[in-house]
Amino acid sequence: MRVIRNRRDFLLKLGTGAGIAALGAQAGASLRSLVPNVSYDAPTTVKIGPPAEYPDGLKFLPDQRLFVFREGNTFHAISAVCTHLGCTVRAEALSQVETRTVEGAPLRMTHKFMCPCHGSAYSGDGGNVSGPAPKPLAWFHLSVSPDDGQLIVDLAQEVGRDFRLTVG
Amino acid sequence: MSDLTSRAGAAPRGPAAPAGPAAPAAAASAPGVHPRPLWSLRPESDRASGDAVVSNFLLHWFPAKALKASLDWNYSLWLGTISAALLLLLTLSGMPLLFLYVPSVERAYQSIKDIEYVITFGSWIRSVHRLAAHLMVAVVALHLARVFLTGAYKNGAGRGQRREWNWVIGVAMLLLTLFLSFTGYLLPWDQLAYWAVTVGTNIASSIPFAGAKIRELLLGGRVIEQPTLIRFYVLHIVALPGLLGVLFVYHMWRIRKDGGLARADREALLRERAEVAPARTKTYTLLGIARGTAPTIRASSVEAADVTVNAVPDLTRRAAIVNLGTIALLSILAVFIRSPLEEPANALVTPNPAKAPWYFLWLQEIVTDTTLHIGSFTINGALIGGVILPGLLVTLLTVWPWLDRSPAGAAGVWFGRDRRTQNLVFVLLALGVIALTLVGTFCRGPYWHFYWPWQAWPEIPGRI
Repeated sequence: MRVIRNRRDFLLKLGTGAGIAALGAQAGASLRSLVPNVSYDAPTTVKIGPPAEYPDGLKFLPDQRLFVFREGNTFHAISAVCTHLGCTVRAEALSQVETRTVEGAPLRMTHKFMCPCHGSAYSGDGGNVSGPAPKPLAWFHLSVSPDDGQLIVDLAQEVGRDFRLTVG
Repeated sequence: MSDLTSRAGAAPRGPAAPAGPAAPAAAASAPGVHPRPLWSLRPESDRASGDAVVSNFLLHWFPAKALKASLDWNYSLWLGTISAALLLLLTLSGMPLLFLYVPSVERAYQSIKDIEYVITFGSWIRSVHRLAAHLMVAVVALHLARVFLTGAYKNGAGRGQRREWNWVIGVAMLLLTLFLSFTGYLLPWDQLAYWAVTVGTNIASSIPFAGAKIRELLLGGRVIEQPTLIRFYVLHIVALPGLLGVLFVYHMWRIRKDGGLARADREALLRERAEVAPARTKTYTLLGIARGTAPTIRASSVEAADVTVNAVPDLTRRAAIVNLGTIALLSILAVFIRSPLEEPANALVTPNPAKAPWYFLWLQEIVTDTTLHIGSFTINGALIGGVILPGLLVTLLTVWPWLDRSPAGAAGVWFGRDRRTQNLVFVLLALGVIALTLVGTFCRGPYWHFYWPWQAWPEIPGRI
């Protein structure tokens, strides 16, 4: 650390320091202004229609990028967002349906999911089978709205693969 | 101050300054006064040739004399000049597009459609811009390969050379070129654009800890919307070209400071120093011009008359041929090659297969193949193939001049014997990238499955 020698030296250092600090503050403020404070994103909790509108099997909701499955009066929902780099996976119907036990609960596997961007493949329960996907497709929480009986999906709340919503 | 200048200006004239109507002609022949407002393509004397460089703004970055060897078509292949010509063309063709394109998610696609189908010459201008961009990626990459294979980032005989730093600037300019292309093909806001942003920003978000924040900063939110488009637009038209322009100017300046191309040093190193006959000199002093005779010196060949030519017209002629040739070729190509426009951006449907432009396909191949499973632990291919591997490659390129321990004589020659191993490794890596690009271009079909080019793709419904 150099010592300040005299008044002229002090003023020089003060001026230089103030200049650098001002530039730094300007740069910091400019960068900070680019970080959004308010999110205008779509809400994560969405009403997705009355359960009766859902056919047995699979329905794709493009706006939520979500697959909703119905098996009698039980429902579950699997994300259509590939866990590798975020493309929308496509569902392909299997030629033969099999029932497997996933995390202790029986599940009817009617489809498999394939990603068009880098070739990840997922089984009917969302498990990553092949390709670059690092983890299974997310399962989301479903509930029934108390006011009008519509299904509600919570896209911020991931659930286990044994999750089922039973509608009375 | 004014007192000093007036004295300095008045003193040297003395009796030599004639008065009356003969003054303009006499002043024209005075030292340091350049009579022609425009320089000649065919200068009559060495004096006229040198004057052209001194008096013309556009030529000031040229030396007065150029080494014949440096002007060889088959040494540098003039790839740097072609890149510069393409940059000029991109700037020029970008201007009308700036007036015609609207950076809004509702109107961007329609404005590109207008440029393509409604505006007179619009489709041609857009095609020039797009083809020049594609070509620039290729030519800048080839320029880098040329500099590597000739060891031209190495310092030679001159003092104060910093060629390694010019190489670093060059690597940065290649990355800027790629980023400019990326931000450019996002602007039409078609399917290619939307899914490229999706994949590109998800690669950024795979960076540990800071990833999510970086993606949010790039997108201006958590989803791809208007803030995203305006960010990439500003990057494309202001931030990146500005930075590229600054680096370009510095790149040129450094070439002059480093004594020209690496080949000049090679000539200087290999050749005997020759005696140069005493020449008349003049020195500018405060009081006027002192004339005298230079002492006999032993100069390197770079100044020798038999290996150099005047920059005007020999260097300018070739620079003009390369620049005008590039512009002419692109103008003609753009008539015949139309620019594609995919369907409007649709967040609901990912195209199948969703392919990046050719220069990113090798990366798309790598992110596909590099997800690692170690026991129950998984590392996303996005991090390995999208961040770590390209990062390593760029780092290696950047620091290579400091790792290259070959002698100075290995610079400025194609495939120098002392650099055989590193050239071989470079060529093999380049071939690997080219091979992956070819696989991505010709051998990937729906769901990124492998198909030979002659195999038919299965019918897959467009939507579910």
